[in-house]
Amino acid sequence: MKEVELDCLGEACPVPLVKAEKKLKELEIGDVLIVQIDHSCAMKNVPEWARKEGHNVEIEEVDDGEWEVIIEKVK
Amino acid sequence: MEIKKNKYYKLWLKDAWPYLTGAVLLSLFQIVTLAVTGNPWGVSGILANWGAWLWEAVGGSVDKWYYFASEGAQKTLNGGFLNHGGSLRNLGIIVGALTATLLASGFKIKKIKSWRQIAAAVLGGLLMGYGARIGFGCNIGALFSGIASLSLSGWVYAVFLFLGAIVGSKLLVKYFM
Repeated sequence: MKEVELDCLGEACPVPLVKAEKKLKELEIGDVLIVQIDHSCAMKNVPEWARKEGHNVEIEEVDDGEWEVIIEKVK
Repeated sequence: MEIKKNKYYKLWLKDAWPYLTGAVLLSLFQIVTLAVTGNPWGVSGILANWGAWLWEAVGGSVDKWYYFASEGAQKTLNGGFLNHGGSLRNLGIIVGALTATLLASGFKIKKIKSWRQIAAAVLGGLLMGYGARIGFGCNIGALFSGIASLSLSGWVYAVFLFLGAIVGSKLLVKYFM
């Protein structure tokens, strides 16, 4: 089980979502992907996509306008 | 009690509203706009005026430009920013968006990551601006207001907007990521 950080700071939609989808595909089940985001629109579509795919998702507000979406790959 | 933990602060100001809420509010306000001003809601046409004012501010003139040739357009330009309802509305959109961001304490000045990002933004902006003027409307004036007034052109716009978005996304992934 490893933890991978994905830096999407400064990236606008739909780049964070596309990057997260790509990265998660490379990971094994049980791995955790931490997507760093500072674009509020990506804060809506990245967690939405990950939850719909059935992964465990947690959101942490790191700073003003900066979040980490923590995705645990479950399948 | 700390405001950050308040249920209603979270619900109304902090978290994003559902798409449905946004859709209903946008519809209501565009009806009000049409009823009060007699014109459908538009955004990008007003930006053309802003461009003309900027050009005039640095000593240029748009008197001879075909786009601004009509009497109405000249009257709007001569009337200035504060007498132009659409300009104030656009300003309201910017101030409102900033206020919402500040109230959610989500304001952040973002880093520019690469020259590619700048190139993509400039290229995208130019294409959108040019397309919106040559097509007599952007996704608000031509699409949203078009469909709201039962115009076929709005639906045609929607189909090609979708096709354009598919092509644009492919290009974005291929050249700018």
